[in-house]
Amino acid sequence: MLEQQIVNGLMLGSVYALVAVAFTFAIGVLNFLNFSIPGLFMVAGMLTWFLLRAGIPWPIAALLAIASGGLLSLVVERFTYRLMSRSEHFVPLVTSMAFLILFENLVLVAWGSDLQRVPLPFETVSWRLGSTVIAVPQLIGLACAVLAVASLDLLLKKTKTGRGLRTIAEDPETAAMLGVDVGRVVPVVFLAGGLFTALSGFLFAINYQQASPFMGEEIALKGISAMVVGGMGNIWGAILGGLLIGAVETFAIQGFGARAVDICVYGLLLAILFVRPTGLLGGVIRQQRL
Amino acid sequence: MSGYLESVLVLLAINTVLAYAAFLPMVAGQLNLGVAAFVAIGAYSAGYLSNSFGLHPVPAALAGSAVAGTIGWLVAFPILRTRGIYLALATFALNQVVQGIILNLDVVGGASGYPVPAHIGFPVVAAFSLAVMVLVFLVFRTRFGISVTAVSDDERAADLMGLSVRGLQSAAFTAGAALAGLAGALYAHHFNYIEAQNYGVLFSIYIVLYVLLGGTQTVVGPLLGAAVFTLLPELLRGSAAWRYVIFACLIIAIMSLRPQGVILRRSWFSR
Amino acid sequence: MVLEIRNLSKSFGGLKVIDDLSFGVERGERLALIGPNGAGKTTVFNLITGVYPADSGRIFLEQNDITDLPSRYRIRRGLARTFQNIRLMAHLTVIENVMVAQYARAPGLAAMLQPVGFGRANRWRAEARAALAEAGLEAYAGEPAGALPYGIQKRVELVRALLAAPRVLLLDEPAAGLNPAETEALHQALEAIARRGVTLVVVEHDMQFVGRLCPRVVALNFGCKIAECATGEIHADARVREAYLGSEELA
Repeated sequence: MLEQQIVNGLMLGSVYALVAVAFTFAIGVLNFLNFSIPGLFMVAGMLTWFLLRAGIPWPIAALLAIASGGLLSLVVERFTYRLMSRSEHFVPLVTSMAFLILFENLVLVAWGSDLQRVPLPFETVSWRLGSTVIAVPQLIGLACAVLAVASLDLLLKKTKTGRGLRTIAEDPETAAMLGVDVGRVVPVVFLAGGLFTALSGFLFAINYQQASPFMGEEIALKGISAMVVGGMGNIWGAILGGLLIGAVETFAIQGFGARAVDICVYGLLLAILFVRPTGLLGGVIRQQRL
Repeated sequence: MSGYLESVLVLLAINTVLAYAAFLPMVAGQLNLGVAAFVAIGAYSAGYLSNSFGLHPVPAALAGSAVAGTIGWLVAFPILRTRGIYLALATFALNQVVQGIILNLDVVGGASGYPVPAHIGFPVVAAFSLAVMVLVFLVFRTRFGISVTAVSDDERAADLMGLSVRGLQSAAFTAGAALAGLAGALYAHHFNYIEAQNYGVLFSIYIVLYVLLGGTQTVVGPLLGAAVFTLLPELLRGSAAWRYVIFACLIIAIMSLRPQGVILRRSWFSR
Repeated sequence: MVLEIRNLSKSFGGLKVIDDLSFGVERGERLALIGPNGAGKTTVFNLITGVYPADSGRIFLEQNDITDLPSRYRIRRGLARTFQNIRLMAHLTVIENVMVAQYARAPGLAAMLQPVGFGRANRWRAEARAALAEAGLEAYAGEPAGALPYGIQKRVELVRALLAAPRVLLLDEPAAGLNPAETEALHQALEAIARRGVTLVVVEHDMQFVGRLCPRVVALNFGCKIAECATGEIHADARVREAYLGSEELA
């Protein structure tokens, strides 16, 4: 049973990991805590349900759901980071919170508040390893998370855009003067974050066969805990943090019941913030200001 | 007065107290995403006192506020060692942990909600709300207002000018927690039913947003924010969700155009 | 001696920025603290005001050992300062900014809750307005400090420091960034403050300014005292010349 729990924890953790990467990328490069990310997760999940229920073939549904994350994230960018340099430093954070509320309530208007069951257009394939069951879609989720971070890592280290991003992270004020095309480079952070988050939302809907307008609040928000535990701004830390939170949640449910999950996951966040705010792998966040 | 109008005014009164509960830490430079937790603490402890000990709802509300304030004061010790984004995250984590704890307390209903029969009528709620407004107005005519703003603007310089940075930050945080608790207790005893599910971080976010809408630069700003948030839905019919869609759009618009909020300030004291 | 530091040392990381530094200031004196960039002059101020604790050594204010006194209490004992990079509160108006320092003269909960914001007649407001008027700044009283020109902000910072009624005033590069007219006005203002009995310690690069205002000077380099003499003699000191590498500053 323990192995099954661990597997379950890792699978759930990959959901958190992808969301945590989106959070941590924005924090690391732009010092921006993007509260709209859980909203993107939820929209992708709900869209997956809606499209599959309407009989759309699942590859198209996947594409549309993931694209929605990218598109909406660019809208968010237009109204948050674009305005960051202007005035009060809290503006992007606050606006991102408003977007979370906007997305959640738009979905409530469109589809009501019920938890929806996502119809699967294919038989779930599972592998058996002794007594442990591994659902293949979940495994794909984990693989996606690792692949996403690896490609992000590559982007940051080997491409011109990546260099631009790292320059912005180090020195936001003078990045433009140093030759970085800020207007082209910054949207990449949002786009990548949006796509990863939407992918996570899609995978969650497929793997757990459920979607609700509150899944952003209930699930993706824990990505923040994963981000901090792993180290804010550290994309590999996000993977580690995500898997850890997934494990914590799975074992918490096992040991204390479903109602104890929040206490454990957020209690861990609180503890890390007090004891080791830089996280397990050491965060690379430059400034503390909001 | 019609029942409908009365409930709107009660909500306005309570939202005003909530606004000031968020406002006080914000002036001190703290983004307190844990407001909802203190609302819950006040609501549940006041409800518990009036349910289990037959305490009259008004002293119960004050006691609920005191409990929230005390817990706020205790929690401030570790929390105020963090700054900026870490502080916001710590209060966020605190909020979720408190909500999680309450959901597990079957003695107050856990996840099923908690009925609180003892009733506080509109006049008393309004009186409390007015008292809070007057108190905040008076406090910001003292050195306190300029001192917490100084701490928020430049902690190091404020310290060298002789201010007790920790003391002021703690005072703002604790007072905010106490006001949040009071609002929660009033809500519990007027609407006579509370549910832990409502006190998540999103509730804190709503409050913070409408305070920022009115602006944190004047004492009147939070009141305006609370008024817009409470009355806007009444002016535009439609489902609750539509109202929040419009509210969210309003926030996005304001943050783009006038991030200091609707009411701008030049000074805490007029010339 | 109204202010004295003995054997003060401070290291950051492995780097020793202040090395066994000792000097004293007499009551009513005007002392200049000079040295090339990076000599540690602002660090000395930071140690004296308690921004960070010294690694070793003692600091005496009016013969009282304040080495272990928390920073916020030092201004209450009569030690005020201005900053190299102006540190006014951007979200407070000019009058509110200077009033912040008044708390040092009457600290405590009752003072914090004093209704100074009511009515023009309140004595603390009146005092602040008078101080601004004396500095020629009363027109700016209601302006948010963050938006004001550099020269005005520097003058406001000086008024703020004075409203704490200090006995010792530390000025960190008060003439930096000022044009000749402003520099002259600053000189007059500081002369007037010194005449009232306030002891001045001035960090400055402008040697002409130093020469006119301060009869005595302490020179630092790499955190050590390399000279301490009358201002007129500083040109002759070989080590000081070497420190400045013969630059125009000592001409």
